[in-house]
Amino acid sequence: MERENEVVAAFVAAFPWLDGRIRSPRKKRIFTDPVTREEFNRLVPFALGQGFRRVTHVVGTDDGDSLGFLYVFSDGGGVLLALHESAPKSNPVIDSLTPRFPGLEWHERELVDLYGADVRGLPPGPRYPLPDGWPAGNYPMRKEWDPKRFNRKTMTYEAEPPAAAAGSEAKHEER
Amino acid sequence: MKNDKLVTIPIGPEHPALDEPASFTVTLDGEKVVDVVVGVGYNHRGLEKACESRTYAQDLFLVERVCGICSHTHSTAYCQGLEELAGVEISRRAKYIRVLVSELERLHSHLLWLGVAGHEIGFDTLFMCTWRDRERVLDVLAEAGGNRVNYGVNAIGGVRRDIDPELETRIRSMTDVLEKEIDYYLELAMTDSVLAARFKGVGVLPRADAEKFGVVGPVARADGIADDVRVVEPYAAYDELKVNQVTDDHCDVFGRTIVRIKELQESLRVIRACLDGMPEGPLKVNVPRRIPKGEVISRTEAPRGENIQYIRSNGTDIPDRIRVRAPSEANWHGMKRMMQGAYLADVPIIVAANDPCYSCTDRAVVVRGAGGRRAMDWEELRAYGVEWYRGRGADISRVEEKLK
Repeated sequence: MERENEVVAAFVAAFPWLDGRIRSPRKKRIFTDPVTREEFNRLVPFALGQGFRRVTHVVGTDDGDSLGFLYVFSDGGGVLLALHESAPKSNPVIDSLTPRFPGLEWHERELVDLYGADVRGLPPGPRYPLPDGWPAGNYPMRKEWDPKRFNRKTMTYEAEPPAAAAGSEAKHEER
Repeated sequence: MKNDKLVTIPIGPEHPALDEPASFTVTLDGEKVVDVVVGVGYNHRGLEKACESRTYAQDLFLVERVCGICSHTHSTAYCQGLEELAGVEISRRAKYIRVLVSELERLHSHLLWLGVAGHEIGFDTLFMCTWRDRERVLDVLAEAGGNRVNYGVNAIGGVRRDIDPELETRIRSMTDVLEKEIDYYLELAMTDSVLAARFKGVGVLPRADAEKFGVVGPVARADGIADDVRVVEPYAAYDELKVNQVTDDHCDVFGRTIVRIKELQESLRVIRACLDGMPEGPLKVNVPRRIPKGEVISRTEAPRGENIQYIRSNGTDIPDRIRVRAPSEANWHGMKRMMQGAYLADVPIIVAANDPCYSCTDRAVVVRGAGGRRAMDWEELRAYGVEWYRGRGADISRVEEKLK
């Protein structure tokens, strides 16, 4: 746990407000509690300076009134650092890390499509992973989005689950 | 500025050179690729959303079906993540069995890839030979798990299937046969002038770009990046069954081929070591149905590279969030760089050399049978296959006799 503890201590020393909000629950893993966009943008360069030069992936989460975006950094030696950026659902604006990590393009597009994130600085390109005809304002990975209410034939989000689909789902649940 | 010399052509999403749906919008200057826009997402079926409305036990079946080729690596990452959240330590025997199946899976996946690579350059003899050998592995996997691809070996808390002495004998016999074949494939790759002409200097990804795009697995290791999770962060029984990491510095399709063939040799060694040292013990320990609140990042080394799962639990028997980051998802952006400056004719082998799994990228496969359902045993299924092909003018039974 030496490397993990050193990294946690270095973060707390540089950012005292992280004290108690960054932890290493086990060997080779470090997690932070949710931080704001501004705080996140200050943590990223520091993580790079600590040797975390690769981002393995990004995880979107629905945290109730806010959305979470976990950027998982790797130091190449097996230690993963998950920086948890948070933004309110009503205004989910974050800054793209693709200028520094171009391999994150699809990960961030996924945050746009599935969570409705407003990722500033994401280069133009085809959407991912939802199809072109997907209705605007529908973010399937948000908890309140109910797949039973999505009518696949009309590609619309219904006020109530379509009757046939509801019956089919009920049968599925019974099984 | 518009350049009249440039031509843009769409390849895919359905195309004879591609086995799964993906679109490549290729801009050409003569025969050379200037730029490419890659489009995937055609296989997206909302697996992660589906997991959030099902129990952990049900999700095991969903997660295993992220991919038809490397199903075991996904279920391993999932199970060990849950076991960590629950604070459960599984038996050493279960860990050894997980490693054994994992290496068998790597064997069949890399053999499949070698065949596809041969096919893409018109070397169909190589395709036939490697897929014949892959069948030997699939036969063993079918016996171990009851299925050729989704073996269902993993359980939350251990494994569902044991390795009995009879199966152990079969596995050892299979490894003996494969060892000779794989040694031959390596010799072929190192000496055959046709393979060298089609693989060397093709699909080059300089190391700096490999690091920039964050590629993983054999693609990264062919650039000299030692990122094998089995070594960097040993899981299951890899702390006891040490893996000798294979790297290369060709940075091209040739290097990726060499890495995969040498990894086949290494897998055979690990399989034998696993059988030699298989400890006694229970297959499974109990894991509570409700997983304590927490979050975990679980990693495994899939045949295509680093496979990661993020699991967040909320204290119930249903996960709050599961995110699957399969290795193919990490390798697509590097592929764009590999194609720039290449000949159009080399695009299929460059794509194939990444061994991309479209289903892994999009995280789900839906398989629906055409017509009615029918259960067949192994022999019946084989006979059905032979009859099906005979009806189309190909008598496979005669080929089998010739191979004996």
